Amino acid sequence: MTPRDAFLIDLAQWLLFGAFAAYLLAFLLYVSGTLGRRISGGSGFANTAGYGTVANVAGVVLHGLAILARWQGSGFWPTSNMYEFIGFMAFSSMLAFLVIHRMYRLYIVGALVTPVTLFLLAYSYVFPRDVTPLIPALQSIWLPLHVSLAALGEGFFAVAFGAALLYLLRVRGLELASRRAADEVASALEGGAVAAGAGGTASIARPAETADQRWERIWGVRLMEVLFYVILVMVGFTLLALIFRYAGFQWIFSANTNPYHLPPIIGPYGAEVGEKGSFLGIPLPAVVVPYGWKGKHLNTLLYSLAVGGLLYWVIRRFITRGRIGDALALRVGGDPELLDEISYRAVAIGYPIFTLGGLIFAMIWAKEAWGRYWFWDPKETWALIAWLVYSAYLHFRISRGWEGRKSAWLAVLGFGVVLFTLVGVNLLIVGLHSYAGGD
Amino acid sequence: MIIVAIAVASVLGTLIEQESLYQDWRPPYLYYPDRYGEFWGNLFMRLGLTHTFSSVWYAALILMLVISLIICSLHRLVPLHRMLVRPQVWKLPHFLRKQQIVLEAGCDLAEAEAMLRRSGYRIWRDRECIYAEKGRLSRYGPYVLHIGLLVVCFAAFAKALPGWDESQDVWIPDGQTVKVPGTDFAITNHQFTIELYENGMPSRFATDASILVDGEEVLRRTIEVNRPLSYGGWDIYQASWREEPGMAHLRLVHAETGQVVTTIPFDLRDPAPEFPVEGTNLKVAVRTYLHDFMLDPETGQPTNASYEVLNPVLMAEVVAADTEQVLGRIALVILGDTPAVYAGPYYLEVDRVDTRWYTALKLHQDKTVPYMYAGLAVVFIGMLMTFFIYHWQVWVRAENGGVLIGARAYKNRFGLNREIQRLFGKPQGEGTERYDTA
Repeated sequence: MTPRDAFLIDLAQWLLFGAFAAYLLAFLLYVSGTLGRRISGGSGFANTAGYGTVANVAGVVLHGLAILARWQGSGFWPTSNMYEFIGFMAFSSMLAFLVIHRMYRLYIVGALVTPVTLFLLAYSYVFPRDVTPLIPALQSIWLPLHVSLAALGEGFFAVAFGAALLYLLRVRGLELASRRAADEVASALEGGAVAAGAGGTASIARPAETADQRWERIWGVRLMEVLFYVILVMVGFTLLALIFRYAGFQWIFSANTNPYHLPPIIGPYGAEVGEKGSFLGIPLPAVVVPYGWKGKHLNTLLYSLAVGGLLYWVIRRFITRGRIGDALALRVGGDPELLDEISYRAVAIGYPIFTLGGLIFAMIWAKEAWGRYWFWDPKETWALIAWLVYSAYLHFRISRGWEGRKSAWLAVLGFGVVLFTLVGVNLLIVGLHSYAGGD
Repeated sequence: MIIVAIAVASVLGTLIEQESLYQDWRPPYLYYPDRYGEFWGNLFMRLGLTHTFSSVWYAALILMLVISLIICSLHRLVPLHRMLVRPQVWKLPHFLRKQQIVLEAGCDLAEAEAMLRRSGYRIWRDRECIYAEKGRLSRYGPYVLHIGLLVVCFAAFAKALPGWDESQDVWIPDGQTVKVPGTDFAITNHQFTIELYENGMPSRFATDASILVDGEEVLRRTIEVNRPLSYGGWDIYQASWREEPGMAHLRLVHAETGQVVTTIPFDLRDPAPEFPVEGTNLKVAVRTYLHDFMLDPETGQPTNASYEVLNPVLMAEVVAADTEQVLGRIALVILGDTPAVYAGPYYLEVDRVDTRWYTALKLHQDKTVPYMYAGLAVVFIGMLMTFFIYHWQVWVRAENGGVLIGARAYKNRFGLNREIQRLFGKPQGEGTERYDTA
């Protein structure tokens, strides 16, 4: 369909590009502000983080204008397909960050939230950017209300995720630092003892390890690496999808399966092994999925896992030279208790907004459009699951006094569920919201 | 924890294709073994995982949640309420020093009281101690929320009560009226309209409809997607549409002269048995009419292949109106370009076939809706109370010529910190106590 005003649509693309550049700049400023200060060992980059927030404000303004331009250009609120929605979600995550930032003035949270925004914005480019006309069911005032509010709530969850991750890193960093200090003291003492010839009886009592710390040392650090791997898989997926979308490769199997844009290692149901020749000695496809499975998506997943693994290996081997989490942990700053509070506060603000937009408005709209308020459609069930996870978070926090690590891991899990609701459900499961799909 | 159990069960319910969602024409007992393999498919069906959200065990989980909500809420609400209504004002210095925010200030008790009162605190005083609080309402928020959730769960379960959640579909062709079973009204479809985008997707579809009671029109309105019509407890939704060949206009032609004798309107769904030809002594009598003609493979007899009007075939006779003498026989395939096969002086040909539009209306009568909405509203109010009001407590005790202040926040500890700092100066420390479990 030709949009109402092609110029405004183009303008929106350029504004969005500007917003992306501003966020990227902000990210670099935050990183140099936190890492740079550590490296230069003092006042070197004192104001950089502040400029990062300025850049983020500029980004949000440009992004907001882009949304308004697309709204005017297409004639409806731009949250109707995956491209528009993920972009809006990027916008709301940054908006939520700025709101939280106004309350707490802790720049470093931006160093973790801004990449989430950048990732979402980049991810939105994976989907087709055309203006899609609204089917009658979507022509409702509830479309902007339901989707925008849900996205705003999820934006706060993104901030909670950023703060929680930072908290986990920071606490780990403090522990590592204190352990190193203890080790140094111990080795100095031992060295002194040996030199003095007084026998090896000197031993330093390390501070006793709590069950919590023990869990963190054994499982927490590994879980953190898994988390970084998952993040890199998502980054890898986005890179692959963008590269191959613009490269324009296609492997077509039959009229009723979507064409592949990546070399088909896992073929769709009904294809034959090796029917597309071979690639580096691997027959294409090498495996064919059984009935009912989505070969194309599994194929993409396989590539993403591989690229994520490669990225992880490269970073771990050549950049951080050890666990990524530990390397970052030693370089981030911030008061852990404040970070914990910020994460909790972001959930506490996002939760009612998400409940209203993601569940209550969704139910009212479903009732109006289809006659029933709940369908157990996968997307809506996953929204409920996300809601349950955050309910558990708040419940454990308020009534069982869960603070700190346990709480932070739950906030990370919650945002993972949110991302799965937005992305995974569309890729792996379909349902009522499948109009919002792409491939 | 039951919340976690429900979350896990819901995850399973989306990873395994549900009976209501899979896109296959086969019934579950044929589909699932093929989809997941003989063993797993049958196992999933046995466990109810193929209809998780209507399974007994999922309902049992929700029921457990309801029970725990009631028990936990009462268990905590009663002591909490007692504590909030009659707070302990006189506290030992030891208690104050354990709070989240602790400081000593130089002012006296009366000044501290005045300052706290000005900032909107409610004050209790007992000897040398003051207890001040604000935002107490916040503490009731979770329980309000829980009550709302109970109503929501009730509404969800009430759907299973007979007559509480009913729905039916009616298909009405243009210009016709259909009595809705189980109700006292009928619906007329005056006209169904559909508009398309350039790419062929529908941009709008709507039914110009009337509600009739005892043949009298009581209401006329356009029903379209997102704009249902409510009448007599039923909500009437525009659900879908269908088109099929409707009225065929057939020309009766005299074979020798090629002259059109008459045109007969032939309803492909429900044709009249015979059509008298005006001004002549002729009539066209329908002998056999099949809306989807096929020959039964077993008996070799003509029969209908489906319920749809796909391949309508008419076998008619031209007879004299008075004597019933058969003048000719005609067989005609109405759709397509096949000419009629005939014996006698007349044949039939198709002038045009009008499309008949059906609107599909979905009727819902769901008595749980008001309860559900009320429950959701209460849930949301409870959330606002919980998250946007902060309960802050401050104890002040006269000590050493000044005052000792201990304060704690159930939410937004940093906000309280700022407020105390504004009132009394920088906090000097932090006690050991965190959130308590009330």
